Amino acid sequence: MDVLIGAGVLAATIRLATPVALAALGGVVTERSGVVNIALEGCMLVGAFFGVFAADRTGSLPAAIAAAVVAGILLAAVHALAAITFRADQIVSGMALNILALGLTSYLDYQLYSTTGTPSTIPLVPNVHLGFLENAPVLGGAIGDQSAIVWATLAIVVLLQLFLFRTVPGLRLRSVGEHPRAADTLGIDVRRTRYWAVLASGALAALGGVYLSLSVAGSFSDNMTNGRGFIGLAAMIFGRWTPVGALGAALVFGYGDALSVSLQGVKVAGVEFPVQLLSTIPYLLTVLAVAGFVGRSRMPAADGQPYESEGH
Amino acid sequence: MALETPIVEMRGISKRFGELQALADVDLTVHRGDIHALVGENGAGKTTLMNILYGLYRADAGTTRIRGNEARIAGPRDAIHLGIGMIHQHFMLVPPLTVAENVVLGDERGGPLLDRRGIEARVSELEARFGIRADPSAKIEDVPFGVQQRVEILKVLYRGSEILIFDEPTAVLTPQEVDDLFQIVRTLRGEGKTVILITHKLREVMAVSDHVTVLREGRNAAQLVTTRTTPAQIAVAMVGRELREIAARSGTPGDVVLEVSGLTAPSDRGGPALKGIDLGVRAGEIVGLAGVGGNGQSELAQCILGLRDASAGVIRVGGVDVAHDDPHRTRRRGVAYVPEDRRVEGLVLPFSVAENFILGKQDRAPYARRGILRADAIRREGARLATEFDVRPADPDIEVGSLSGGNQQKVVLGRELSESPKLIVANQPTRGLDIAATEYVHERLLDQRSRGCAILLISSELDEIRDLSDRIAVMFEGRILAVLPASEATEDRLGLLMAGHVEAVGERSGTSPA
Amino acid sequence: MRQPSFEWTRGPAIPVVSVLFALVLGGLFVWISGHDPITAYAALLRGAFGSPYDISETLLIAVPLLLTGLSVAVAFRAGLFNIGAQGQLLVGAVAAGWVGAQWPDLPAIVLLPLTLLAGILGGAVYGGIAGWLKAARGVNEVITTIMQNYTIVFVMHWLLQNGPMQAPNAFGTPASAPIGAGAVLPVIVPDFLVPSSRLHAGVLLALLATVAFWFLLWRTSLGYELRAVGLGMRAAAQAGIDPRKRMVIVMAIAGGFAGLAGMIQVSGLFHRVYDGFSAGFGFDAIAVALLGKNAPLGVVLSALLFAAFSRGGTLMQSDAGISSHLVEIVEALVLFVIAAETVVRAVARRWGTPVKAVS
Repeated sequence: MDVLIGAGVLAATIRLATPVALAALGGVVTERSGVVNIALEGCMLVGAFFGVFAADRTGSLPAAIAAAVVAGILLAAVHALAAITFRADQIVSGMALNILALGLTSYLDYQLYSTTGTPSTIPLVPNVHLGFLENAPVLGGAIGDQSAIVWATLAIVVLLQLFLFRTVPGLRLRSVGEHPRAADTLGIDVRRTRYWAVLASGALAALGGVYLSLSVAGSFSDNMTNGRGFIGLAAMIFGRWTPVGALGAALVFGYGDALSVSLQGVKVAGVEFPVQLLSTIPYLLTVLAVAGFVGRSRMPAADGQPYESEGH
Repeated sequence: MALETPIVEMRGISKRFGELQALADVDLTVHRGDIHALVGENGAGKTTLMNILYGLYRADAGTTRIRGNEARIAGPRDAIHLGIGMIHQHFMLVPPLTVAENVVLGDERGGPLLDRRGIEARVSELEARFGIRADPSAKIEDVPFGVQQRVEILKVLYRGSEILIFDEPTAVLTPQEVDDLFQIVRTLRGEGKTVILITHKLREVMAVSDHVTVLREGRNAAQLVTTRTTPAQIAVAMVGRELREIAARSGTPGDVVLEVSGLTAPSDRGGPALKGIDLGVRAGEIVGLAGVGGNGQSELAQCILGLRDASAGVIRVGGVDVAHDDPHRTRRRGVAYVPEDRRVEGLVLPFSVAENFILGKQDRAPYARRGILRADAIRREGARLATEFDVRPADPDIEVGSLSGGNQQKVVLGRELSESPKLIVANQPTRGLDIAATEYVHERLLDQRSRGCAILLISSELDEIRDLSDRIAVMFEGRILAVLPASEATEDRLGLLMAGHVEAVGERSGTSPA
Repeated sequence: MRQPSFEWTRGPAIPVVSVLFALVLGGLFVWISGHDPITAYAALLRGAFGSPYDISETLLIAVPLLLTGLSVAVAFRAGLFNIGAQGQLLVGAVAAGWVGAQWPDLPAIVLLPLTLLAGILGGAVYGGIAGWLKAARGVNEVITTIMQNYTIVFVMHWLLQNGPMQAPNAFGTPASAPIGAGAVLPVIVPDFLVPSSRLHAGVLLALLATVAFWFLLWRTSLGYELRAVGLGMRAAAQAGIDPRKRMVIVMAIAGGFAGLAGMIQVSGLFHRVYDGFSAGFGFDAIAVALLGKNAPLGVVLSALLFAAFSRGGTLMQSDAGISSHLVEIVEALVLFVIAAETVVRAVARRWGTPVKAVS
């Protein structure tokens, strides 16, 4: 039983789901405004690197997190400029930025840390110890000792859900992603709204990168995000473009990943369980959802479409 | 009334889009508390003029006065500020949001938190005042078009509009919904609001409007008082009139080639576009399909070709039912098609002239053998057809997109007519062409008739229909109201039929298909 | 999501300018990080073309880049964006590796064509799935192909770590059993010309595929139909060319090119499949296709360029101490300038300049 729902598996689920959830939240914000940002992977990566870099240079954790988030925002800003102002192809721009982020972080990592590796003395994001859960059998192990970013992520999910569906700016953001012309005719600034959304997505993805480097690993390594930004996009789709749904999807995906570790070597009816195939679940579910075979997954109507106000 | 300052006064408005002169020196005067109909065919410039009034476009020339003061309307914000509201033809509504959210969007009032109850209460209040019914908490995607339109009206009333522009408001409504809408419009007038109604449906003009401004091809065609005019008069103003002799017909029609019966089909937006069409075209005969644009003509053409699925009915070409065939199979039966929009549907613009000549024939002799293109045959045929159909320059390798409109249409004709079709469906074949090119197209169609081809000619040019057709069918709101022999199709009669008056049909001509 | 609509001017001016621009910016970056750009680029050039051996190694990298580049390009020609060349390459490699190892004793005359067919078919089926989902269910091919890229990676983990393809005595990186001698593409450069060259007959296959790409698109009815759908979908549809059928076909063809790349990596280079196999080619392929303007010669040249970057970058790192990842930065900048070209065109169109496109 422990390999299926033990404290270890649940704790791992949360650890694996958190960066994916943050990327997915970024995706929700930007796509709800109508801009596809596949550069979330790159935003995560620069977040992971510049978090470590700033932690090394300043020795200050808040400065490190701030630097990481700014790096993510800057990368996203380039995408916003290309996608919103220049109406360039959003997929090509996103691909270019992912390659740029990979090249840039690996280049700097080599130039700065190739001989020593990233320093082990940098300040890390602390875990939150929930003493009162110490003796709770499963729960204590699962959530009694998780990173502060895990809890921050939960808070962001709640806040973002409220923002999108319970506030006036959220209403406007959604209207821009669904029907920009309608929003425009009502005096809502489509481009400005989309800029803010894309920048926010960069910040959220970068925080996911910080979690990987300054919380889980304690260091940076080349391409350490390894596709999590893309799983985040999958979680966003499977979560039907809502923050709570994205978190749920990230947890489902994370649980599959956690099982693929805990079930390693376990034999079912004499055959070794194909744990690796568990990791394909996010991708298969996502395609099936978009195809309408599993539930109904509807993307914002104007998602990925550049908007040009009527010519005067 | 004439002494009162008009609430809207537009003078000498001109607007050009690239090469297209959309509006030329247009005037519009609307009085307070009036229901003013702005009528004209598709492309006459109605919507463009209203987009200028609403600030979506800026006029190249001309002035706009609101309540006597010259107004510079640079965007919808300015228009809203001046008390102008627009109910768009394509609803500007956000489907996943509620009725109330859509009404207040952009002007939510109250703090940054979304106060759903407060918003819904405000919207209910507004509904009560103007007698408009719509559940404020329903999602737009779950309510019918009629309700969505009421939401559009609520949106502009919420912003305190005094002047309400309705752009083709009945296009997607059921008859019952149309009645409801007109009731609302009259209530608005009773509350002192001014209504501008863009439409091409004459019944509506007669039913609700006080004054009528008719536009044709971007110019003023008539300014009328509704009670002192007739639908036929408006119809003729819309399509233009020119008295001429009807050319004598030659030859006798042969067997029925196209036979359509009981055809119904949906429109792109869900409602029915065709409501039981019966029509026949014989060999060696041109049947003109007249009617104000947008009454189902294009949908009929698409159904015949197989580009649109019919919901019921039969389409026979040479006795074979093609109602469920795709364009590939329909064309194999000898059907040729001259589409309405040659730049999007007729041609692949970046392809060369020769390449466009073989579109749809790319897998057949002489252009291909066993799936391999024969470049020499394509070039040779391309050069021959370019010469035969007088494409200038007669260069098969030139990119079609770089040719003039007339020469582009010659490429379409060259492709469609060169293989001796049994049936030609030509939709607006001379739209936007100069006189020489128009004559050329006409000659080619008459040649095909002499050869024994059956031709269905769809046109909004009454002259073109009357000059070429042996019989004329008039379409109105998805139905064929009458099929007249050309000799009996007087302008008055056609005008009345185009306005939906079936009484215009005499005793002798029925609605018999062939 | 929007369909890509790339139109290109004739002639190589814009690609050349974009590469130069990217190189200058990259050099600036090197200079800022405290190195000499001239030294860096000289080392890069030497690494790529400094000796016959280096050239043969560069060509080895160019082969999968060229084939995946053709894969992306053929889809672009029909108006589809194939981000899945990487996944299709891997499926082709797995299929080829399985066939090659399943009947290792078959003679080359039987086994090599069989392996080739397996690779192409594997990729074609994988690509075809994305095309079918688009045609039948309206699923954007960008989403499907991204998801497919990751799916096959994990399927390979399973196949090679504890699945049916796991080699009995593999240690270190999980790998499949080696393919039979009959499935191996021979080295085509004799030792006395280039000592210990690994350049295999796959180069010839890639060039043959380029000719096939050209022949298909410009000399066959099907190719005509694909281009017509890509440039004027509604005109094609009314003429009786069903765009949905062509979507499935072109994605299968795209997958076939990428699958061939996978087969060549197996038969020519590694002689088996292993975990982490040939990563990243499918993504570089997008840059290759775009820079090469989806034209045969253009794709060949840009595949060579990116191969030279890749090979030269390795030497630049060891000789000049500058991270080989500089080439990724340059590559990203190239892509960016290409994306910006669509901006230039959009502006030109607004100003009323007629836009010409290669058909």
